[in-house]
Amino acid sequence: MNVAGDGQNMAVRLENVVIVRHGRDGQAVPILSDISFSADSGEITAIVGPSGGGKSSLIRLINRLCDPTRGTVYLDGEDIAGLDPLWLRRRVAMVPQKPFMFEGTVLDNLLLPFRYRQEPLPAADGPEVGHALELARLDPDLLERDSRTLSLGQQQRASLARALITRPRVLLLDEPTSALDRPTADRLSATLHDICRSQRLTVILVTHDLRLTEKIADRLIYLEAGRIREEGLAADMLSNPQSPELRRFLAEPDRKEP
Amino acid sequence: MDDAKIVNLSLVNLSLAYGLVLLAIGLARLRRIGQEGQMLWSSLRMVVQLFAVGYLLHLVFSVRSPLAVIAILLAMAGFALQVMGGRIKQRMPHFYRVMGTSIFAGCGGVTFLFCGLVVGYSPWYDPRYLIPLAGMIIGNSMNGASLAAERLAAEIHERRDEIETALCLGATSRQASDTAVRRAFRAALMPTMNTMAAMGIVSLPGMMTGQILSGTAPIIAVRYQIAIMCAITGAVAITAFLILLQGYRHYFTKAHQLAEEGQSGQ
Repeated sequence: MNVAGDGQNMAVRLENVVIVRHGRDGQAVPILSDISFSADSGEITAIVGPSGGGKSSLIRLINRLCDPTRGTVYLDGEDIAGLDPLWLRRRVAMVPQKPFMFEGTVLDNLLLPFRYRQEPLPAADGPEVGHALELARLDPDLLERDSRTLSLGQQQRASLARALITRPRVLLLDEPTSALDRPTADRLSATLHDICRSQRLTVILVTHDLRLTEKIADRLIYLEAGRIREEGLAADMLSNPQSPELRRFLAEPDRKEP
Repeated sequence: MDDAKIVNLSLVNLSLAYGLVLLAIGLARLRRIGQEGQMLWSSLRMVVQLFAVGYLLHLVFSVRSPLAVIAILLAMAGFALQVMGGRIKQRMPHFYRVMGTSIFAGCGGVTFLFCGLVVGYSPWYDPRYLIPLAGMIIGNSMNGASLAAERLAAEIHERRDEIETALCLGATSRQASDTAVRRAFRAALMPTMNTMAAMGIVSLPGMMTGQILSGTAPIIAVRYQIAIMCAITGAVAITAFLILLQGYRHYFTKAHQLAEEGQSGQ
């Protein structure tokens, strides 16, 4: 138990993170400004806000798809800038917004993380594949199917299973339900909730889907124009928003029916 | 090679040939259908330009210094590089360094291997052989190189989602860009492959036709053509390979991150 990192519970922590990009004219454009928060294991943290507010950049920092201009990201108290990114991405899995399926069967796709790392491939009927299928609630009959013939909902589950097969500690999700119809999205969010609880995963998801947030998020971070405007328990914030920004966001008419 | 008699065109012969142009101009004038001025201007330009090039080559072929010949080759390669730089819109990061070193190594290596081992004339720098052969190799590699660079930029742009998904799953930059690199290599080789497949049936190559007209036996001309096509294929493939091998890295950072669009990784 170390003093600074608050031990096991503090899975992911960001401290004073800033991202500045340079536009074509050389002008500095702030993407994220002074972001600090932490996400605990066994909890789902939803990052909510209008598009273009820096949500995607924020989660891309955590598996080092990009690096902050300033500030530090910690995984279990360790600065991730000092970790091998390939090792980090095994611990911190990410399901991108568009569930990209590579050529081949669903099984080929599930085994990719092992293939990339040149590790022995687990058997199709072995425990690794079985565990991933079970967590993502993906039908084992789909394993031999050409991955590009799956429905969007099935692709999203296959993408989830592929991310979970290496047993990560942190799961990052970018708009997991944006392409799905409502029943499919509801089933997926139930799955995510169960995975988080049963595996004591740290789940951080970016979304503008308030229905999803309401259903499964424990904590909520409201991000607008690159700054955290409000954060706290999801249930409190949705029922009783404090900041004018979040109040305005929640009052937008299309928020009720995503 | 020059055992057959070559008909040498005298200036009188040339004047007769130019008479054909004048005849055409006269006809156009008579029928008032225009274009006389244009025909006169273009034909005179052609005569002057070709004579100039002829004397230039005459001068170059009399060069007996290997350094001077190499300087001419480097100037040709530099010119090719400049043409590519102007033509390609989506330039990869560190464009000139990547293209320059690849053309230099790919074309230079193949040209010297080809001239030294295959044709085997002496002295090795004889500009009568080296310059036209290098010209053909550089010219074709220039097209292959442009295609490789352009296709790589386009593939990486179009496949951002795919590449980042692979990175998320633990792929290295090389693994993640594998498909893009393959596609770019294929695009670079395509024109050369097509030319080879059609050669002799659809088209008679210019070099071969020229050699036959100047008295070389067709079988010898064919052998030259085969050898030069092999050299071109080798040079195009090696140049494209070197461009892609160096090029893909510049789209990534050392931490296996896909660099922001328009910003170099390293």
